[in-house]
Amino acid sequence: MTDRSLARDDLGLEAALRSLSHEIDWPTAAPTAVSGATAGPDIATRVRVRLSSGDRRGARRPWWVIGGRPVRRSFVLAVAALLALAIVAGAVGLGLPGLRITFGEPPASLLPSAAATGSPTQGDSPPPTPTVPPVPGMRLNLGRQVSLAEVESMTGVPVRLPTDERLGPPDSVWIDPGKFDQIAYVWESSETLPETSERGVGLILMRFAGRSDEEFYQKVLGTGNRLQTVFVDGHEGFWISGEMHFFFYVRNDTQDYVDDGRRWVGDALVWHDGEATYRIESALGRDATIEVAESIE
Amino acid sequence: MYGVRLSWRAVHIEDAELIARARSGDVAAYEAIVRRYQDVAVRTAHLICPETDADDAVQEAFIKAFDALPRFREGSPMRPWLLRIVANEARNRRRSAGRRHGLALRAADAIGPPRTAPGPEQLVMAAEQRSELLAALATLRDDDREVLGARFFLDLSEAETAETLGIPRGTVKSRTSRALGRLREALGGGEGADR
Repeated sequence: MTDRSLARDDLGLEAALRSLSHEIDWPTAAPTAVSGATAGPDIATRVRVRLSSGDRRGARRPWWVIGGRPVRRSFVLAVAALLALAIVAGAVGLGLPGLRITFGEPPASLLPSAAATGSPTQGDSPPPTPTVPPVPGMRLNLGRQVSLAEVESMTGVPVRLPTDERLGPPDSVWIDPGKFDQIAYVWESSETLPETSERGVGLILMRFAGRSDEEFYQKVLGTGNRLQTVFVDGHEGFWISGEMHFFFYVRNDTQDYVDDGRRWVGDALVWHDGEATYRIESALGRDATIEVAESIE
Repeated sequence: MYGVRLSWRAVHIEDAELIARARSGDVAAYEAIVRRYQDVAVRTAHLICPETDADDAVQEAFIKAFDALPRFREGSPMRPWLLRIVANEARNRRRSAGRRHGLALRAADAIGPPRTAPGPEQLVMAAEQRSELLAALATLRDDDREVLGARFFLDLSEAETAETLGIPRGTVKSRTSRALGRLREALGGGEGADR
């Protein structure tokens, strides 16, 4: 040892140990990605989710399986709605105004292919095909196609679009009145906009209308997902990457369950700007997607 | 000093309120408790079991602590009670994983960059000193390392250390003294107690 004074007496050793404690790279309660960003919820959030779902065991049994058998979809939805309401009442932890996020594999009955049936607002969600559809986004169950000029008159929401140079004007615009005038802007893939998992689609920007205190969203992420906390123009948001995403929300006022009902086409950025919740899906990667989001005017 | 007391009382009172709510099934209140102590809990587990198991051990311990809330003695401090559950869970994981593997991981991975920016010679010496100290700690018995970690890494009081490790307070004193002697011996700087 280069400095024997440490080992000379107890006081010296105690001081050395206390000093060493500040030099140790202690693990934290939130998983950290290679980039140094938070890669998932902290332990408190994971404990809350497990307790809320009744999961007291270390085994990672899916939360919708009770007594070894999958429960009926209607029961799952009712439990999900009650759980989400309880979480909103708690109003702490991981989430945005109008958005709650939990982890777990989505029940098979709620996967987009199954969820796309049985509801007029859900439509069809066909698997990707090698052909490029004539209108980008037309196979994504985004609602009714409209023109840019119609957006404000139909929804009362002014058009706000990214000014990032990688994007021009959107190539198609969609409104879904069944989902609180959800607006979706779709851009074709291009040299500057890599293709998502949907042929011909480079980026989707969605805006969810409605007041955040009247409804909330709950997101169920598959185990292959990663969640990172990010900021968009100072507003907290989440970058969700990995495998299947699944999204649904429940209205607080009517208790109606609203199923997103479509597959996601890329990694997603979700944030709330104080008025509405936005979601961008793209293949640009986290930082470039945040740049696009921050260019919205 | 007066301010410190006020601050401690505020935390203590708030703990009591959160505990009462959590006992009645308020999961959000319990989440707030976990968030308050999760970092020290992770460090506690990291001292005891392999780093790869520490996160799971803490999560599992907090789940068990929630179920054990009805047995929590009203008015007692929350932190050592929780840390004792964490320490027990971490020990269980250590038994499964094997001690030497875990220690090697900690010794190799735990060295961070120096916080200060001394001259080149000092930098090397500081890093070497940290390495040797960590290596010497790794040679200690589990109970010696735990008591030193609780007292000097986690900065727990003797009473908190006693509750966290599940030993009498007097044992904390004697074990700390003995562990320091053994550490000094491992560093080659003095006589240590018999092992």
